[in-house]
Amino acid sequence: MSQTKYIMSGGLAFAENKDMEKLRRYSLQGWHASDFKFMGYTLEKGESTDYTYSIDYRLLKDDEEGEYFDFFSSAGWSHVVSEGNIHLFRAYPGTKPIYTDQDTTVEKYKNSSDSMKNLAIPFVLLTVLVWVGAMISSGIFESILFGVAVILSIIALPTAWTIITTYSNKWKAEGKKGLVNIVKIIPFLVLFIVVILLLIIGSIDKDPAISLLTYMVAGAIALPTAIWMIMSFYHKVREKLN
Amino acid sequence: MKEVEQLTDSMFYIMAALTKPRHGYAIMSLIEETTKGAVAIGPASMYTIIKKLLKQEWIYLHDKSDSRRKTYLLTKKGKKVLEEDLKIRKLMIQLAENGLEEVEE
Repeated sequence: MSQTKYIMSGGLAFAENKDMEKLRRYSLQGWHASDFKFMGYTLEKGESTDYTYSIDYRLLKDDEEGEYFDFFSSAGWSHVVSEGNIHLFRAYPGTKPIYTDQDTTVEKYKNSSDSMKNLAIPFVLLTVLVWVGAMISSGIFESILFGVAVILSIIALPTAWTIITTYSNKWKAEGKKGLVNIVKIIPFLVLFIVVILLLIIGSIDKDPAISLLTYMVAGAIALPTAIWMIMSFYHKVREKLN
Repeated sequence: MKEVEQLTDSMFYIMAALTKPRHGYAIMSLIEETTKGAVAIGPASMYTIIKKLLKQEWIYLHDKSDSRRKTYLLTKKGKKVLEEDLKIRKLMIQLAENGLEEVEE
């Protein structure tokens, strides 16, 4: 059996270039990406090679796959693995990039945000509706809606964040710098406003739904921040050790 | 919407290559050879543009017997778009050439 190991992804929407650079560094050490794994990649031990990695987002029908992959292999990009609409390729240094003009690069991030929004936006809206439902209803309904809302929120918050990021990637490709900077502030601004609003409403109306929501939003800020801090600390230490 | 706008350079090259039936790889090589390697179109850009041109009905699927190497050809509409764009590009070149000649004099 071949030797394998797992590395974590920084999240393609958030750190695509960093991920690709990381895969290249591992390939130089003889560890080559072979598969997507939960929130990361599987690497396989081989000989040290200088590979450049690239990602494309595209929803392909069965009869389109052959041609699509042939375009890449003709241009010197070998297909590593695909999952859903995400396709990973690698090539030797000096191979021309998979995107060579700005217009089509914009389309790339449009593909990525389009596939997200079809699923994610209705989901986020549903979550908001259930919360509103929990606040205005009472008794048994309130408890049920409450539970549902909490569960939905755990998934909806990171999802909403990811959608905003995919849009920001698209705007970045389009060269709309102003919008990108606004997007960077949005999550903090929104969360800040939400916390303030909830504190105000909570002090007037002692509805348990509202106080729980306050805790959840606070948790939603604190937890990722803590994870992010631990992860970046861990990477810093590892980079020093290597 | 896109029809009144000027073609991007990549679209122009690809449409120029599709005055004869060609598959993706043949388009890429023709462009690279003709421009002596100065211009290359990446596979993802190429695929995106082919799909777009098909949607605009500026090209059509000419032969799909080899599913990996489908060939495409300009439609009448596409030929017209290319001709119009060529006119503008010729004017652009003329502008630059005239300007440079004046400098030399």
